[in-house]
Amino acid sequence: MSGGNRMELGFDREKNRQERLAFVREYAQWVRRVPNEVWSREQADLIDAFLANAGSYALSRSRYLEMHQALAKRRRPGSVDNHGSA
Amino acid sequence: MQITSAPDGTILIDGKVVTGLDRFVASVTEIIEQYARYVIVSGYVAILFGRARGTEDIDLFIDYMDRDTFRSFAEELLARGFYFLNSDDVGEIYSMLRDGLAVRIAEEERIIPNVEMKFKKDDFDRYAMTMARAVMFDDIRLFISPIELQIPYKLYLGSDKDIEDAVYLWVLFCEMLDGDLVRSFMERLHVRGEPYGIGV
Repeated sequence: MSGGNRMELGFDREKNRQERLAFVREYAQWVRRVPNEVWSREQADLIDAFLANAGSYALSRSRYLEMHQALAKRRRPGSVDNHGSA
Repeated sequence: MQITSAPDGTILIDGKVVTGLDRFVASVTEIIEQYARYVIVSGYVAILFGRARGTEDIDLFIDYMDRDTFRSFAEELLARGFYFLNSDDVGEIYSMLRDGLAVRIAEEERIIPNVEMKFKKDDFDRYAMTMARAVMFDDIRLFISPIELQIPYKLYLGSDKDIEDAVYLWVLFCEMLDGDLVRSFMERLHVRGEPYGIGV
């Protein structure tokens, strides 16, 4: 932090983006190399864990739709309805 | 990844471990296809081919259904343990679809995952539907948008996640794609792949 109320963030958004893309490329190359049973077993563990956790959110359907409505408004102003659909 | 192609063009992913998400998508699309054609687009296409990320919704387009057909479809969906998140009024759900809006389908008592379903509406949706590719693994068959359209479409959507999906599909399929077709969709959608190493 510098003087007064100015704050600095040491996070480089573009560098982070490039690192993520490099990882995605590397991961895709790995998926190409290994048998389907291998990549899909790892992926299934990840996705099934994600789904198991998703079931424990205390989220009502109206709140969920409101969240999507807000997200869609941010993405494409004016193209969203009252039901959270873009 | 070992992908083979059946004589009818179906993409076969032998040995793929089926996820809960795959089972959910298959159980909804199995009902949809009794009433209309459908095509899956966007994130789930990348996930189907191994992209390591979760998703809360699966985007798909369906052919137009008239009100009576839609009512029969909705009744079967409800009888099979699904519901529409947007409303309990089937008439209202149909009106939303007619207005070009998406409706969401989930299993009873759940919100995630859900299928985000729309009537197809523009030339890109129609192309995806007409040229849809069947994908088979285990006992599941799904219809997905051509990868040649999905990569430019993901670049067009433009979020970090969408661009990562486009790059993933490109690295996976670059040698199997029709480059002219990818380039043509990129031009129509006014997107460029070079900044991300997608060179067609």
